[in-house]
Amino acid sequence: MAPNLRLNAVAFISPQNHPILIRTFSKPDETAIKYHYIAHTSLDVIEERVSTKSSDCYLGLLYSMEDVAIYGYITPLKVKIVIALALSDSVVRDMEINMIFKALHMAYYSAISNPFLTLEESSGHDSSRSLLAGSPKWKNLRSRIDEIARIVGNSSGASTGG
Amino acid sequence: MSSTKKSIIVSYSATPSFITSSSWTQILQTLQSQLPLRNIHWKSSSRTSIRTIHQLDVSLVNLDNVRDELASQVPTTLLERPLLNIYVITCENNDLEAYRATVKRQIKEWHTTVSPRKNQEWLILHVVRADTRVQSGAFFTLKGSVLDKVRADFNTEKRERCVQLVWSPGGTKPAAWAEFLNKLRDGILSAFESAVIQREDEVRRSEGQRQMPGWNFCTFFILKESLATSFEGMTVYDDALVVYEELEVSFEQVLKEKNLSWFGPLITPTSNDDSAPLLTISKKPYRGLILANNISVFDFRIYLLSRQCELLAKAGRLTEVCQKVGVFLSNFGRRLREAESEMAPYFVESWIYSSALSVVDQCDTWASNADVDAKRPAFNAGKAELLEFARNQLDMLGIEKEFLPKKPPFTNALLSSTHRNQKSSSTESISNTQLSAAVTNQESFYDLYIHTTNRAIDLYAKSGRRKFALKLHGSLAALDLHRGQLETTPTRLESALTTYNSLPAHYAPHKWISLESVMLARALETHDIANKSKDREWIHILLAFFKTYAETLGADLLMPEESKVDYVSQLVGALSKAVSELTTDLSHPDHPAFKIRVSSSAIPDETRDGSYLEVSVHNSLPCSIPITEVSVVLAGRDSERFRFTFPGESLAPGKTDFKLFCPIPCHGSFLLDSSEVRMDRLLLQWSHRKTIHNTKSSSARSIAKDNHVLVRVPQDLLAFDIRLRQPPLVALGAPPSLLVAVSTGRNEVSSASLKLSAPSITFDCEDVTVFTKGLTQPDSTPDHILLRDLPKDKEVELLIPHSDASTMHSIKVTIEVNYTTVAEPSINRNLRLTRVITTTLPVSVNVEDFFRGNRLFSKFIVSTISHQHVRISDARLEPPDESSGLKILACSSSKRGIITVTPAQPAQFLFQINSDGPVREALSLDITYRMLQHAEVEFVVEEAVECAIKETPSWKIHRIPLISKLIKMLETDASWVEMYGISGELHIAGSPGSDDILQDPVDAMLQAHKRPSALAGPWHEIKIPVDVPVMNIVAAARIQISAAKDTALYAGQPISATLSVHSSFHWGTSANDKERKYVMQYDVEEMVKEWLVSGKKRGTFIATDEGTFSVPLTLVALHHGEFVLPKVMVNALPLADVDTMGSMAIPNTETYQVHGAEKVLISPRGGRSTFVLGMGST
Repeated sequence: MAPNLRLNAVAFISPQNHPILIRTFSKPDETAIKYHYIAHTSLDVIEERVSTKSSDCYLGLLYSMEDVAIYGYITPLKVKIVIALALSDSVVRDMEINMIFKALHMAYYSAISNPFLTLEESSGHDSSRSLLAGSPKWKNLRSRIDEIARIVGNSSGASTGG
Repeated sequence: MSSTKKSIIVSYSATPSFITSSSWTQILQTLQSQLPLRNIHWKSSSRTSIRTIHQLDVSLVNLDNVRDELASQVPTTLLERPLLNIYVITCENNDLEAYRATVKRQIKEWHTTVSPRKNQEWLILHVVRADTRVQSGAFFTLKGSVLDKVRADFNTEKRERCVQLVWSPGGTKPAAWAEFLNKLRDGILSAFESAVIQREDEVRRSEGQRQMPGWNFCTFFILKESLATSFEGMTVYDDALVVYEELEVSFEQVLKEKNLSWFGPLITPTSNDDSAPLLTISKKPYRGLILANNISVFDFRIYLLSRQCELLAKAGRLTEVCQKVGVFLSNFGRRLREAESEMAPYFVESWIYSSALSVVDQCDTWASNADVDAKRPAFNAGKAELLEFARNQLDMLGIEKEFLPKKPPFTNALLSSTHRNQKSSSTESISNTQLSAAVTNQESFYDLYIHTTNRAIDLYAKSGRRKFALKLHGSLAALDLHRGQLETTPTRLESALTTYNSLPAHYAPHKWISLESVMLARALETHDIANKSKDREWIHILLAFFKTYAETLGADLLMPEESKVDYVSQLVGALSKAVSELTTDLSHPDHPAFKIRVSSSAIPDETRDGSYLEVSVHNSLPCSIPITEVSVVLAGRDSERFRFTFPGESLAPGKTDFKLFCPIPCHGSFLLDSSEVRMDRLLLQWSHRKTIHNTKSSSARSIAKDNHVLVRVPQDLLAFDIRLRQPPLVALGAPPSLLVAVSTGRNEVSSASLKLSAPSITFDCEDVTVFTKGLTQPDSTPDHILLRDLPKDKEVELLIPHSDASTMHSIKVTIEVNYTTVAEPSINRNLRLTRVITTTLPVSVNVEDFFRGNRLFSKFIVSTISHQHVRISDARLEPPDESSGLKILACSSSKRGIITVTPAQPAQFLFQINSDGPVREALSLDITYRMLQHAEVEFVVEEAVECAIKETPSWKIHRIPLISKLIKMLETDASWVEMYGISGELHIAGSPGSDDILQDPVDAMLQAHKRPSALAGPWHEIKIPVDVPVMNIVAAARIQISAAKDTALYAGQPISATLSVHSSFHWGTSANDKERKYVMQYDVEEMVKEWLVSGKKRGTFIATDEGTFSVPLTLVALHHGEFVLPKVMVNALPLADVDTMGSMAIPNTETYQVHGAEKVLISPRGGRSTFVLGMGST
């Protein structure tokens, strides 16, 4: 049985709704845009959720598509994290998803703790740019996310497939 | 089926005669009008919280009509049987005999049938007529009431099961029913609870036997479901849902254990399965199938879902219905695909499509009945999601049928894993007519696609999910593009282009560059396919696309790395072609693909006028860009603008350095105003002077901080320049003019045109005079002066008269010069200079006049008004013309040399004026002066440099820098002034650090410098008009002591004297008029310490021209000493005959004391004297 939790994409979105990082794990490059769309549209749903539900960081299932389920998370500082999970027949427990989000949150947290992150760019024309998607700055965060995605795939495969 | 009857059953019973009576019918009607029961609080022992039932329908049936025996063993709802049985008795309350005789027996009979029933409660209702009640209310009814009796007989338990109803046929008071209704509620609840507890026990038991052989999931399901239907009947939907959820979980578990013996195959497709409305339970006999153990998983799951959704809908949770269906469709759709080969082609798509649409319709029907307004946006969003889901099926079908291209955005819905490699074996076709039509007909497919998408967009828009709507708009545009491509219809492409053009604006504000760039790339593609000419619009799209590229450095372009460069360079090629075909300039502001960085100082060109500015341009695009020019504009004070340009050819990716040239000789600090990269007709512009107020966030503020870039342009001393000076001759009162000094520097100027302007002052260029010798009069129009053929190193001085500016301290003159040099005839240098010239003179002059008879002495005091020393070589008082007969004598000789006026020490000049009569015309005071530093010392330095250059011609090129350097050194230190003033030697304080090549010449020259000839060099002259004041009467008063000159005078001795006043009208208006007389008054000053004056000390007299008035006086000196004589004041009295302005006119008078310098020696007197003074007559 294939691992029932497979991360297809992770998106970090700034409090101003600017994309920070969109990382896709699916093979063909063409589908990347799908996850960009997903990240973008999730903002609408997150907005709905946040307005009704106040305190909780974890926003639960935002919506689902044919093959992916989109989950959302909002940090206390309003950074939004969106993950796209490959759909499977098994029941996905919120606990597990929440744990993935916590790990992603920590990854982001430690990535922005780097004091040299924005310093380098500040002499440039626009310092806010460094926090945007596609910036080469997020090398570290990227590798952390990849690591998380790998662990998520492995561990749940081991626990439920066994 | 039982589930259709949802209300609680309550049975009633009574004597047959009563049941049929009309009064019972009335009671029953009234009772029914009190129903349904409201606000029931069910406090269950097995549940933690109180469930509130807002409304509960109760149907009252005759006990005889209730079928006691169950038709089948299949457990159905607990509400199938009555929860409460009521027996109605009607006897009078005190009619105990009747009770004993008949009623008791009837009750007993009923009680025995009812009480053993499980999970049913009973209630005895005693109906009492309201009118009989009064009588029965008597006290001391020893026997007790019927009700008490009934209680005693039947109600043995604690629970009160007897209730009395006071019945009045006319009015129905709700209060009368309250107790009965309470009892009804209690009874129903307790019966229901015990039934639930029992059923739950059964369920638990059955669940516990799961592992045992013979256990059947379907049976268990039916059993447990009955619980849910019961809850549903009681309208506690949440509990019902919980039951279904638990059932779903156990179903999952069963599936996981792969124990599917209770189920049929995954799906047994019937012809309408794919198009039947999903949530309609009645479409198949689901329960029957379950009981028969041959329901397919497909049907089973649909049944489960439908029941849940129905409950959710009843609970008003329609949004959850949509979500649940969405999740179910995607989950189960996947399962179905695994078994796709057994089904009709496109079965799954059709099923999902039809189901999603039918659920949307179903939800709308539910919503129209229920009030879900509070959740309207979310509900709409849920429906929209379902519609989008349906639309995605169309995507799949379309790609499969090749109606749609297999590329994004259509492939977004495509499952990455599934590939339909095995063709369906089934020969059946899908039953959804819409779809089957669409699958065969391309046009109708597109129509369906657009229709469904538009529905979804509409709902998304209503729910406020703008971003979803945008996505769908994008897919519609993609469809248009595709269709336009197929059919080559320009209208479709046009609409696709419009959509693609409008979409980036929605993604740009939040920097979703990836999506923005995709939209732009699509727009470009559409443009290409439509074969539209590459016009301005196309260029704008392309530039926007480059912008997205530059902002992410191409990282988010969502296309393969290697094709990016090709793609972009191809676009760049097309751009340069398109740009060259434009007819007018197209400017585009602030494109991020290029960044221009300007060095902080410019370098002057040593060989010609102008300076270079180093600029580095960073090109973020991956290929080189053909350009035609790079330019930077620097802004100075006022509106000066200097443009530095470089005719570049291409910008390679990355950094390129350029050296921009500006031919205009400017210097100072400038602000970087804007920069520009030109590509034929395309101008990419950047403004570097953003105003701070339009930035809002803190990051933006930090941008604004380093926004202002200062560029220093050093002065080029050999450049063409224009200075303003005060003219060498300033005549006050005459029209002013200023001296314009045009220095050509290194240039051989072929032509130069000057235009001067200053606020509120007009320059009269036509009356320009050339001050420098050897030049012809320039061509001039009223506002231009045109100079031609000026040689190198020449300074041309032009005197330009202008309008009066005496109210201002200084004039700020803007000079616009246009000049071309012989060396570079093609470059027309347009210089705009602002020069300030002070109009005030460096000296101020005060005059004091002294009249002495026919002579006038004028004393002029010349003082400097600045801190500078002023050297005055000469001061003359000139008569207005020779014929005036004035004789002016200067008091000091002309050999006096140069006078230095310092702030502390003014200079005085005294002139004597002799005239024949009053002077009407103004004299003019001519002062020849120069400022010590600005004129004299500078001249000295220039002379010295000139001298030095003669000795060493190699310094010639350094002449101007040398002079300016020396002057600068003089300006920085004032210590040379004193030494120069005394000795004339110029000692410039050493300038350490100036280690350039000029150091040696400077030192050599300074040492060689000797005292210059004093008068050499430029002198300025001012002409100040001086009016000689009119003095009507000049009186000379004199006290003359009559005694001989050598007679000794003693203190106390009376001395006779004569007071005489000589009057002259020489300087007045009535000069030489012998007839003119003035009445005057004289007054001898009291000098009480020195003199006693006796005689007519005060009096009036008539003054005539050249007449003398005398009066004797006697003076007595009070003590010895040498005293001046008392002064005599002489005043004219007001004229009697001339009356000016209603007041008396007093002729002006100046009096001087002839004896003012005389002193009288009074000797002391020995001995004692007695004086008797007459004190006047009494």
